[in-house]
Amino acid sequence: MRSKFVLLMVLLLLVSCFASPLRLSSEVGIHTDAWKTRMPGFTAEKGVEVSIQQFPYANYLDQLMLGYTAGRVDIDVPYISMLWYPALATAGYISPISDIPGYDRLNESDIPGIRNTKLNGKTYIIPYMNELGGIIYRKDLFEDPKEKANFLAKYGYELRPPQTLEQYEDVAEFFNRPPDLYGVTLMGRRSIFLATHFMQRLWANGGALLDLNMRPIFNSEAGVQALKEVERMFQFANPAARNYDFQEALNEFISGRSAMAEIWTTGMFYVEDASRSSIVGKGGFVGFPRPEEKLGEKLPMLYISWGFSVSSAAPDKQAALEWLIYVTDTKNQVEAAPTGNIPARFSSLNSAELALSFPWIKDFALAMENCIPTPIVPLIPEGGSIVSGIIAPAVSEFLSGSKTAEKALNDAVKEVDRLMRDGGYY
Amino acid sequence: MDLRRRFSGFTYVLPALVFIVVIFMIPLTYTVVMSFLRWNLLRPDLGIRAAGFSNYERLFTDSFTLETIGRTFYFVVGSVLLELLVGLSIALALDTEFKGWKIVQSILLVPFMIAPVVVGFVWRFILNNDYGPVIHFLKQIGLSGLTDKPLLSNPSMAMPVLILADAWEFTPFVVLVLLAGLKSIPYEPYEAAFVDGAGSIQRFLYITLPLLRSSMLVAVVIRTLTSLRVFDIVFIMTGGGPGTSTETLAFYGYRIAFQSYNIGFSSAINMLTFGIAIIFTILYMRVIGGGKNYD
Repeated sequence: MRSKFVLLMVLLLLVSCFASPLRLSSEVGIHTDAWKTRMPGFTAEKGVEVSIQQFPYANYLDQLMLGYTAGRVDIDVPYISMLWYPALATAGYISPISDIPGYDRLNESDIPGIRNTKLNGKTYIIPYMNELGGIIYRKDLFEDPKEKANFLAKYGYELRPPQTLEQYEDVAEFFNRPPDLYGVTLMGRRSIFLATHFMQRLWANGGALLDLNMRPIFNSEAGVQALKEVERMFQFANPAARNYDFQEALNEFISGRSAMAEIWTTGMFYVEDASRSSIVGKGGFVGFPRPEEKLGEKLPMLYISWGFSVSSAAPDKQAALEWLIYVTDTKNQVEAAPTGNIPARFSSLNSAELALSFPWIKDFALAMENCIPTPIVPLIPEGGSIVSGIIAPAVSEFLSGSKTAEKALNDAVKEVDRLMRDGGYY
Repeated sequence: MDLRRRFSGFTYVLPALVFIVVIFMIPLTYTVVMSFLRWNLLRPDLGIRAAGFSNYERLFTDSFTLETIGRTFYFVVGSVLLELLVGLSIALALDTEFKGWKIVQSILLVPFMIAPVVVGFVWRFILNNDYGPVIHFLKQIGLSGLTDKPLLSNPSMAMPVLILADAWEFTPFVVLVLLAGLKSIPYEPYEAAFVDGAGSIQRFLYITLPLLRSSMLVAVVIRTLTSLRVFDIVFIMTGGGPGTSTETLAFYGYRIAFQSYNIGFSSAINMLTFGIAIIFTILYMRVIGGGKNYD
């Protein structure tokens, strides 16, 4: 009797070991909803159970960091923002995916921006959702013959989605007819969203945050110019936009109250959502403009990506790799996309099936091919602190009139310099 | 027997002692220790190193910290003073029983029952430049100049607005405490003063206010301590902006802890807040309490 009981217990233990599911984690969001639709198919095809824990975006990173630090994270495959992986990788909380046997099957050359996923030559995250910061615009207004004629008469060239920063200001000014219509929607609340407006212009004007020795250099002429351009654009935005975050900006645009929104590609899903948008079918996307003299050049453009990483403590890394291969496969990406995802593979973006669901996807793919996809924060552990904690307040201080552009940037450079010294960079 | 008697008192206070040690002393000690460390969660490769007094040195030499202390004082003094003045007026008005006073009391308590996060969202809606009732009202009465720049995006207006929102939420608490104090004042001193010919202002100044001191002390100390920790409405309404105009100590501590993950420096900021809270409490007990015990 006793030996039967022991045998039963051993059997149960073995079964529980083999049957332990692959544990995924994510934020609550539409691209997560998209890949969640693939979970049953993966289990059916590979025989591996998959479970998921979801957290609100606002405290997802905190949960991961605190959990990993305390050594009590029970997650095998965290789905994370690309901005977070350097900190998690440097700390050893996630391990290189490229070290798992069979990694080549992922075909990383099909993924734009893949260079951003590597640390010391090893890949730590496989992008699933890729998007660019750019401009979402009202196609109906841009194609209106009367508007086109008026614009031509006023500015001497044809109305079209802006390609240059000069055109961008002209178009914003042209459509700025408050209080019914504003030229552009911006995100002025002191947050990383506000920092995106500065960063896009800094890059477009040839500036950078850090030099090759990791010293801050954004208090350059390009930085000052970028700040002043941000300020000028706010003239053509709703005054309330000075306290907008992403969602509020999007709400203004999809309610038809502005001609353009300086936002990122995900916004198109909200434009096409008939339950809340009053401009369904009227939205278009174009990559962020650049100075006229840099037309045709490949310039850095705000790149936002979420993808899958693998915890160092994951017991079955092979199962994790199988999930990554399955979920990022072109067919699965295309099928999941209508739920709310912009696929990360060129092969998915160029699929005819996807173009049927997203008529704007070819413009996005074009922008992606013609830019250097660049994450908003430098891919070092301190990156988030630099942009959210230092750059965003500096931009906000300038816009609120508390500091001049030069003073705001010089003070911010000093702070970044201290942070980098503390981090042992020099 | 003697030994048992000697320890019986200790046994009675033991649960409270354990509670205080677990809930208060352990986290406090932990924070004190961390404030002397150089510990960044983003860089475990650098390890946890002794920092000596460097976190405190940075705290007291950094002009930003001093500005943040100034903003925090502005918020605390503004909100506590406003809540005390408005709360006292309402408490005096409610101190007479009239038909439906219980209903009025219940309605007055509503803001206090709402979570601060919700209060933040409600006030953002109220102050919205497009459809907020406050802006609409200001425009109607000809003060549209005030609305050219949204109040929450105006560095000189954002903090007063936060104070107003905080006062809206917590004045009912002050009313509740002061009303209880007013109810406990005996009628005899008023009767004697009335016989001596004292007017209503004299009765208020020489009887009500002195006898209400201990209740005011309770309300002011509690509200000061909670105002020093204000975070929710700042986070929701302004995110510390525009610029740094609404960044308080608690928000600064949060930013350093959860955006920079600098646990050592963040702990030093928290210890500073703790020290300021103690100083405020002692000051209040001296000034309002007057060193006297009215119980």
